[in-house]
Amino acid sequence: MSDYFRWTAETFAMDKVFEKPEALKGIRILDMTNVILGPVVGDYLGEYGAEVFRVELPGRGDPTMRVVTPFGIFWKNACPGFFPQNRNKYFITIDVRKPEGVDLFKQLARRCDVVVENFVGGTMDEWGIGYRQLREVKPDIIMLSLNGFGQWGPFSIGRPSWDLAAQAASGNAAITGFPGRPPGKAGLYLGDYTGGLFGAIAVLAALHYRERTGKGQYIDYAQAEGLIRTMDWTWVYQALTGKERERAGNRDLSFCPSDIFRCKDGFVAIAAADDEEFRGLCLAMGRPDLIEDERFKTAEARLKEDHARELLQIIRDWAATRTREEIDALGELYRFASAPVMSFKDQNYDPHLRARGMVWEIDDPVYGRVVEVGPVVKMSETPGRLRWSAKPVGFDNEYVFIKMLGLRPSELKELEQKGVIGKWAPLLGSMPPDDWRGEGVIF
Amino acid sequence: MADGYIEWARQATDPREARRKPEALDDLVVLDVSYRHIGGLVCSSMLSEFGAEVIRIEPPGGDPARNFSPYGIKHKDTGLGYLVEARNKLHITLNLHVTEGREIFKQLARKADVVIETFPAGVMDQWGIGYRQLSRENPGLIYCAIYTYGQFGPKAACGKPDYDVVNQAISGIAWSTGEMVEDENNPQPWEVPTKIGSWFGWYVGGLWGAFGILTALRYRGQTGRGQLVDVSGAEGIMRFMDCYLTFYNMTGIDKERIGNLDANINPYTIVPVKDGYAMIAGFTDANFYALTECLQRQEWRNDPRFDAAIKRAKLASSKALKPLLEEETKKYTADELLEILLDYVRNKRGPGTPVTAKVATPAEVLQQENWWLRGVLEEVEDLNYGRLTLQAPVWKMTETPGRIKWVCRSVGQDNEYVYRKYLGYGPRKVRELKEKGVI
Repeated sequence: MSDYFRWTAETFAMDKVFEKPEALKGIRILDMTNVILGPVVGDYLGEYGAEVFRVELPGRGDPTMRVVTPFGIFWKNACPGFFPQNRNKYFITIDVRKPEGVDLFKQLARRCDVVVENFVGGTMDEWGIGYRQLREVKPDIIMLSLNGFGQWGPFSIGRPSWDLAAQAASGNAAITGFPGRPPGKAGLYLGDYTGGLFGAIAVLAALHYRERTGKGQYIDYAQAEGLIRTMDWTWVYQALTGKERERAGNRDLSFCPSDIFRCKDGFVAIAAADDEEFRGLCLAMGRPDLIEDERFKTAEARLKEDHARELLQIIRDWAATRTREEIDALGELYRFASAPVMSFKDQNYDPHLRARGMVWEIDDPVYGRVVEVGPVVKMSETPGRLRWSAKPVGFDNEYVFIKMLGLRPSELKELEQKGVIGKWAPLLGSMPPDDWRGEGVIF
Repeated sequence: MADGYIEWARQATDPREARRKPEALDDLVVLDVSYRHIGGLVCSSMLSEFGAEVIRIEPPGGDPARNFSPYGIKHKDTGLGYLVEARNKLHITLNLHVTEGREIFKQLARKADVVIETFPAGVMDQWGIGYRQLSRENPGLIYCAIYTYGQFGPKAACGKPDYDVVNQAISGIAWSTGEMVEDENNPQPWEVPTKIGSWFGWYVGGLWGAFGILTALRYRGQTGRGQLVDVSGAEGIMRFMDCYLTFYNMTGIDKERIGNLDANINPYTIVPVKDGYAMIAGFTDANFYALTECLQRQEWRNDPRFDAAIKRAKLASSKALKPLLEEETKKYTADELLEILLDYVRNKRGPGTPVTAKVATPAEVLQQENWWLRGVLEEVEDLNYGRLTLQAPVWKMTETPGRIKWVCRSVGQDNEYVYRKYLGYGPRKVRELKEKGVI
């Protein structure tokens, strides 16, 4: 078995990543998106080799995410909140509300495989660059639209939405948090990042279908609906029993124990559903008597409400006397599940997450050292990678328009004068760092 | 809005037409040998919704995941958690603890495009049926292993089981979610890091698994080569945690849980209303203007704590605005609040678009026609399991929409069919293997 881990360590070695091929090489994505839900699709696919062209408006760029950052703090004139959705991308600007912009967008679409957008339903169509119009110039185009409530249906009409609206409308907030307390808002933009992943999965399935048949297609994804999909047994339970799924805090109602406990120096998660694991936990707690205790002997008995409460209290009392590290180590020794509740600082210094490239340092030409969350899926043949960070508005206009569309510098200038394309405005979040001297510009 | 767009979109992606359309992945054979793990099931559900032939391989006694159910409820032979993610899958049994079972697995894997497993890393390899061994005979095989600690790295060999709550703990989502401690000397039991209520730590691992498999599929289409795909549910959510790791490195601030406030924008929170709770948002300057108009609290705009988006985003401002906001929202029901905000937007009473939505309970969600029209929730008819309400595939697609064909199969129900189809075993051979405890 140790041989296996020697083999995986070699096979997945992070220092060999750039020597290996990329699975999505040759796929081009026209990324006509804003905020997070849309942009993150291109980021996920770009990590595995797709070439992504992020389109923004000249000047400010993304009106939300170039401004939205934790506690209003900017860094090197950039908005930290903009980074995680925008690695590896080419940043261009097009104002598609102008006829020349529509033409430019269509020329790019003709050279791309996938268009991603997340405007209010119908906006792209109104601009003349919806699926119906784009398939005229590129018949096998795959187009993905993402938004709060979809392209049609009662909730979609004229209703703006945000991530939290999806958390609320889906029921996800109602089942998160503690009994008797208010519903819980997730400490991240839950529906955005999950939704982007659902979107990317559909794009990949559609690419496979195109490979087989030559046909493209249109995909409509609604954020709230994705969260409904992730809510496990909620719907079947409600429909079968007529009972409401209530908030249950950190407990799992389907097996016991599974919970989060306070310990001496923080919090730990512990779970042990099957008898063997439960036995291990009892031994780790120095409580072999619990193994044969009628209340806890079987998984079924442990799940009974009274028994579950008693058992969780026993574990709670024990955990309070131990440290995170001790409980983490005991899980390994006795084969039950245990892990500290990790903060972002904890993750940053964790040797395991570093070895796996989850904490990934980019040496970026514009921003210098940037630490990002690395590609999630580890692939033995075609590993994901991060090349560069997010960029100021219009950063790659010259490169993309000259290389992809063969525009002449004079034509670029003309488009710029008409306001169809353009660079950043001198605004926080849109412009380069103060000490930037042209590093990283391709053309 | 361009003429007829909505009607075009509805007709072109109508979920009621889904079953009449082709399937994107119906050329794939998938072996799902995931064990005691909802994430593996979610992973194969994504593929089976798109038409892949998914063969679930359970131990002869059934997968323990069949027991994962709220309060231990069973429907027929199966718990509710499993019932949701057994869709469109064939179910066979195979004992991987005996040599003959492993040999049979190897033969099946020779015919498969994809294998999905969720054992602690190295278990399948030790049994002689891991990626290294299977890929020798089937170099095009895509082998997806889903495990909290992954297949490499200092903790990969720890052997601990993979659970939803552990994935949520490691990912940062529990750290970042939940109520703040009001009084340091008297912390309340609910003022702790809080997990997402669903099995999010399993679901997200499954979704990334499907992403990885489909990415690998494209590479195989180009080169004929398969590969090992290594996915962790914990890392899957870690990727979702906004910019907080990056932000820590930029500023030294380790973002903590702040209850129903938001770290980036304000207001963007959950507030009480007459009949429950609602989310409310109006954080850009235009939207804040709109919200203060709607709530008749124009003076907030001139308050030095709230008079610019960047100032409002400070935690102290978020904390200060919350009680003021609650005082106003409590005057209305969720519907009244929505009506006021929509009236402002639709009748263009000023700049900005404030947003609200009721925090729907699951029972309310089930009653809303929207989800049924959109095919998000579906009452599925199943030969064995009857009529069950399930969440349907999430995408509306013009060419190859996903669909649910059946809900579940009992343990080993498809043994005869699958073993005959793939390995040519007749009823006698199947009976013999059953008697030996292999299937």
